[in-house]
Amino acid sequence: MTAQASQRTIRIEAMRFHPETDSEPSWKTYEVPFRDDMSVLQGLQYIKDHLDGSLTFRWSCRMAICGSCGMMINDTPQLACHAFLRDYMPGPVRVEALDNFPVVRDLVIDQTPFLNKLEAVKPWLIPKTERTPADGPNRQTPAQMQKYQAYAQCINCLLCYAACPQIGLKPDFAGPAALALMHRYNIDSRDQGWPARAEVANAEDGVWGCTYVGVCSEVCPKAVDPAHAINQNKANSALDYFGLGKLLAPSEGAK
Amino acid sequence: MGRHQAVAKTYRRTQPVDWGRNVHRRRYMRREMTSVFLIAYALVLLFGLWRLSQGEAAFDAWRASLGHPLALLGHAAIFIAALYQTISWFQVMPRTLPDSQVKPASITRAGWAAAAVVSVLVLALVMLGGGK
Amino acid sequence: MKRSNEPIIWLLFGAGGMLSALVAPVLVLITGLLVPLGLLPKDTMSYQRVLAFAQNPLGKLVLLAVISLFLFHGVHRFVTTLNDYGLRGGHATMALFVGVATLLTVVTAGLLIGIGF
Repeated sequence: MTAQASQRTIRIEAMRFHPETDSEPSWKTYEVPFRDDMSVLQGLQYIKDHLDGSLTFRWSCRMAICGSCGMMINDTPQLACHAFLRDYMPGPVRVEALDNFPVVRDLVIDQTPFLNKLEAVKPWLIPKTERTPADGPNRQTPAQMQKYQAYAQCINCLLCYAACPQIGLKPDFAGPAALALMHRYNIDSRDQGWPARAEVANAEDGVWGCTYVGVCSEVCPKAVDPAHAINQNKANSALDYFGLGKLLAPSEGAK
Repeated sequence: MGRHQAVAKTYRRTQPVDWGRNVHRRRYMRREMTSVFLIAYALVLLFGLWRLSQGEAAFDAWRASLGHPLALLGHAAIFIAALYQTISWFQVMPRTLPDSQVKPASITRAGWAAAAVVSVLVLALVMLGGGK
Repeated sequence: MKRSNEPIIWLLFGAGGMLSALVAPVLVLITGLLVPLGLLPKDTMSYQRVLAFAQNPLGKLVLLAVISLFLFHGVHRFVTTLNDYGLRGGHATMALFVGVATLLTVVTAGLLIGIGF
């Protein structure tokens, strides 16, 4: 084992907020031992394990698939497991709760606004006629699946909501992920649900709340491209507005 | 609003939206600001049209005023804004179109090429005395 | 949820955006820089030539499209940007500006008809 030279450290400044005692957030600074393979999440875990057990944050998979560890890292919404301390050397690394959401405690936000928006777009298959197991498997070709593949990659990490300035201005805007998932179902060959979702899409807080700033697609860790999902649905919503909504229901089923 | 209840005790940060916050937002504002210059140019054309309707003397006076240094400066600014509009419009446009196999970058380049072709055509038309 | 009326102005915004993306730079270059600086033949924007263009039905269409669509496009973007900076009463402001753009469109059409054929 190599002799331990002076251990490199990096400063992490974390936003702290305890609702029982604080009226507003404050900052706490920690010196964290640095290895160049450490993620920001590992830095936070070191703080919790060795320096300050009260630091609260969500995490789970450590591999950018569960969507739990979203937070602002130096003013950019990122997954903490997906950002590496070496990219912030010599530091400091400023870690805050995601923008545009109420803060529950430290780095944990209240997802409720998003959960309601997600349910509003009915993110499940809505076929024209109800199916039963007797109908057999609900088939689709690889090409049909490819159509909505990218939009199905959303892990609900909410980075796009933190990035979106329109969410900041109009908290009731449906937002990138919800509208991308709406689109994912609308273009699924097994779904004929445009009419069921149209009310949300066509509203001021639906697709028309978007002004194409485009940061949502920039920060998305799964390349969902919500900006594309929303903005192509402006044309769809316009068609619907002028009574051509029938054109928007894809034909039923696979061959 | 929905069946999920908000967490009772939370902190809502009330900072106003910071449009200078990052490069993406700054780029967005620059893009949107081109709108002012397009309005200005439309008004210039409308004014010219009005002077045209008033006869040769009025129109010639208006055309002469276009040579004033301030007018030239203003139009140079409008020209830069118009170029920026052209460049950014075709960068945005692919994402307003339905999903397709065509790469967004290809659509962007096709748009820029179309703008270049149209520009050359218009210039040719104007110079050869056929149209404008 | 109330349906948004945005599609109407959005289509005008889109048309104006496409038109301006294609022709705005060259038009501004010609009328605002090349002709005033004398870099094009002397009679490029002469009264006779421009009048003939404005009297031509196709020319009228071009002038109306450019002025009107540039205005609608610019106005939509401008008011949206005001909203971005926290302006309250966005709908009323949009209605006002779109109203002005509509009025100016009517004025343009009136001038073009008045100029004759």
